[in-house]
Amino acid sequence: MTEQQHSHHYQSGMTRRESLKWLGLLVASSTVSMVSGCGDWTHTAQSGAGHWPDLKLAPITARGYGQDPNLLIPPESPWPKTLTAAQLELVAILSDIIVPREGSVPSASQVHVPDVIDEWVSAPYSVQQQDRVTLLHALAWIDDEATLRFNANFAALDPQQQLAIVDDIAYDNEHTAEPFRQIAGAFGRLRSLVLAAFFCSPVGTRDIGYMGNVPIAGDYPGPSDEARAHLEEVLADLGLSDCAYSG
Amino acid sequence: MPAFRHEVLVVGSGAGGAMAAYTLAKAGHKVLMLEAGRDYDPKTETPMFQTNGEAPLMGASTRDKNFGFYDATVDGGWQVPHEPYTTASNSEFLWWRARMLGGRTNHWGRYSLRFSEHDFKGKSRDGLGADWPFEYQDIAPWYDKTEELVGVCGTNTGLDDMPPSPEGILQPPPQPRIPELLVAAAAKKHGIPVAPMHRAVLTRPKDDRAACFYATPCGRGCSIGAAFQTTTSLIPMARATGNLQVITQAMVKSVDVDDNGRVVGVTYVDKHSVEEHKLTARVVILAASACESARILLNSKSRKFPKGLANSSGQVGRNLMDSTGAYLGALIPALKGRPRYNEDGHTANHLFIPWWGHKMQEKGDLDFPRGYHFEISNGFSQPGAWVGGNLQGYGPALKQDVRDHYGAYVGFALRGEMLPNPGAYMEIDDKVQDKWGIPVPKFHFRWSENELRQVEHGLKTARLLLETMGATVGDVPAAEKAISKGGEIIHEVGTTRMGSSASDSVTNQWGQTWDCDNLFVMDGGVFASNPHKNCTLTIMTLTMRNATWLAGQLDKGML
Ligand SMILES: Cc1cc2nc3c(=O)[nH]c(=O)nc-3n(C[C@H](O)[C@H](O)[C@H](O)COP(=O)(O)OP(=O)(O)OC[C@H]3O[C@@H](n4cnc5c(N)ncnc54)[C@H](O)[C@@H]3O)c2cc1C
Ligand code: SF4
Repeated sequence: MTEQQHSHHYQSGMTRRESLKWLGLLVASSTVSMVSGCGDWTHTAQSGAGHWPDLKLAPITARGYGQDPNLLIPPESPWPKTLTAAQLELVAILSDIIVPREGSVPSASQVHVPDVIDEWVSAPYSVQQQDRVTLLHALAWIDDEATLRFNANFAALDPQQQLAIVDDIAYDNEHTAEPFRQIAGAFGRLRSLVLAAFFCSPVGTRDIGYMGNVPIAGDYPGPSDEARAHLEEVLADLGLSDCAYSG
Repeated sequence: MPAFRHEVLVVGSGAGGAMAAYTLAKAGHKVLMLEAGRDYDPKTETPMFQTNGEAPLMGASTRDKNFGFYDATVDGGWQVPHEPYTTASNSEFLWWRARMLGGRTNHWGRYSLRFSEHDFKGKSRDGLGADWPFEYQDIAPWYDKTEELVGVCGTNTGLDDMPPSPEGILQPPPQPRIPELLVAAAAKKHGIPVAPMHRAVLTRPKDDRAACFYATPCGRGCSIGAAFQTTTSLIPMARATGNLQVITQAMVKSVDVDDNGRVVGVTYVDKHSVEEHKLTARVVILAASACESARILLNSKSRKFPKGLANSSGQVGRNLMDSTGAYLGALIPALKGRPRYNEDGHTANHLFIPWWGHKMQEKGDLDFPRGYHFEISNGFSQPGAWVGGNLQGYGPALKQDVRDHYGAYVGFALRGEMLPNPGAYMEIDDKVQDKWGIPVPKFHFRWSENELRQVEHGLKTARLLLETMGATVGDVPAAEKAISKGGEIIHEVGTTRMGSSASDSVTNQWGQTWDCDNLFVMDGGVFASNPHKNCTLTIMTLTMRNATWLAGQLDKGML
């Protein structure tokens, strides 16, 4: 992970509410130049981007599951969950934008993805604690952005307004505008976790096409005819047909 | 219960300890085994079909469970509770341990390749490292017996790096999977062989053990006994003879000697009461894993042996070797969205790339000595915490992207031979003790140019294969960056090496220490070199051979 959580503090010594008001003023102008801790940069103000919340997060002090947990019946809630109802709601909305319902396949929140995210960000391990910082800032940023653009929390926006914001932050590549770089990275982390939690659910595991974890009597049958036929095409395309494995 | 009067003490219940105990018990000798970890029963404790989704954090690795929630390791991993180790400044070394009956055999990868004739006489060939005090032919019959007992699937390939087993010993290997077949074709184009991996996994039932049913990752352990671990095989079989008893939670601190320097037994700490106990025996076998056995010897100081026991050569703790490791993987566009089928198989490599460079080395075409092999990572494995990858966007298009990428990555994990060097060794850190009051090891480690050039060759080869499969790879990392940390491949050996002279080795070819004839080492510590072909089959084979020799000595009243 490369995102720098604290690189864009736009102002210190101000309360969050004050900072937002200040940014709100900036929104009114067109293009502004801002001074941040790590250098000057400009941004298009309509977006309201360029802000970054300054959250003081209490450290997670719960214990882990230890080096000899019961593996047969994994602990259902190995540590206290920490997301607030509002954060969970926001995670649920975003999860369903990332993995919406498709036909008979349920959406992320319908298979309890937000609970998995809550467990993840509440875990007392280093990767997860880092993700907690990333994700909680992302959630706060998204609400801040919603407030700046539409004067309401993200959850209160209509779907078009929500997507207007998501479209700006869901692509983290060379075209990403500078003010959205940090949030795009953070949103990417949320996206990965939502996808993982969805595809690890029984429904998602079926959706991705995983067919294992079932005992087979007798010898392992190997690839299906369809899979073998596909391999033959691949070998032909790569000019490797003459090199096919013969045992 | 009638009194059990043991002749032999075995320290450790992993690959070495269990094989020693089994061999002696079968030969009619009474063995008492001391194991530092807790009792462990794979039949009742293995999470077989539990899914990642049911585990905390989707089964992801954490500080507590370094190889994922369901990994079988108990009270271990890169750290054992209350049992630290230290590393010298400028050294990085990782020491994987497990504190459980069966040790690391409960979750090892089960890759089980015979060493070949090249491997025992490397020094005679290229002047580097040390020769073993015997030849391949001397140990070949013991490989036959060990493979038969353990149960190894694979084939005789006729390749020079894979000596054949007699007809009927190897069990049939499982069919290769699609990405493995693609790798095989790409490799063949460049004259590189691909062969069925040899694995200590039953594909036919044996004794009380069932054949693999091609589901459930073996690193969790195998409740049906198909994947070899000593807790479903050697230990219960040895116990059934009535000649083995086991004390768990017994942490051996030192080997005790009398005033004449003769080994009389061991001192151990009972972890429940934290009290020390002494046990006597006719023979003591250390099989606590290479670095633990060396640690016990170095901590066994007496008036007669001020440098530690069996250390007159000064070689105890020296010659620490791991395997080299490096990894290169890429997305194979042609595999995107490929047809689904059940690709679990025995959940590890069905095919791998054995070392193909002996001839090139003979001709002087390579700029590094000794070989490596590639393990191949691929497949439609059960989704886990990282299945989402690093994709863009959202919604149905994103989901489709995940499905397309699933099973479309292929990676090559290099495992190569390391030569001993003077900068890689362990000693005792007098300043640090574990919870049981035992001074801990301090590791020194570095790679030499030999390993770096080997890894460079491996990375280039891996890139060539990936590109032949249509991947875009780009620059490969520098060998210094790509090479694993010392200990990270978990094939640490050599710290009590065997040899043909008491001046530069710790034991003779039977694992019998030169300094004390009733003290043996039967783990990877005795390796004179560390061929790239994962160490454990050879630990067990040597142990079977040497414990059989020891049984003969006991029968003759020699010790
Ligand atoms: C994830 C993983 C994958 C691996 N894959 C492979 C593979 O595919 N192929 C391969 O060949 N090898 C593999 N290995 C390596 C293999 O596990 C070891 O080589 C093998 O287990 C070593 O056997 P051992 O008997 O020396 O030690 P161990 O199996 O570690 O057993 C030693 C036992 O001694 C006990 N002990 C230690 N100190 C004391 C003491 N002071 N008193 C009493 N008891 C003590 C320990 O608790 C332990 O139970 C792998 C290892 C890991 C961790
Ligand atoms: S894959 Fe086979 S050998 Fe491995 S744990 Fe499952 S049943 Fe056992």
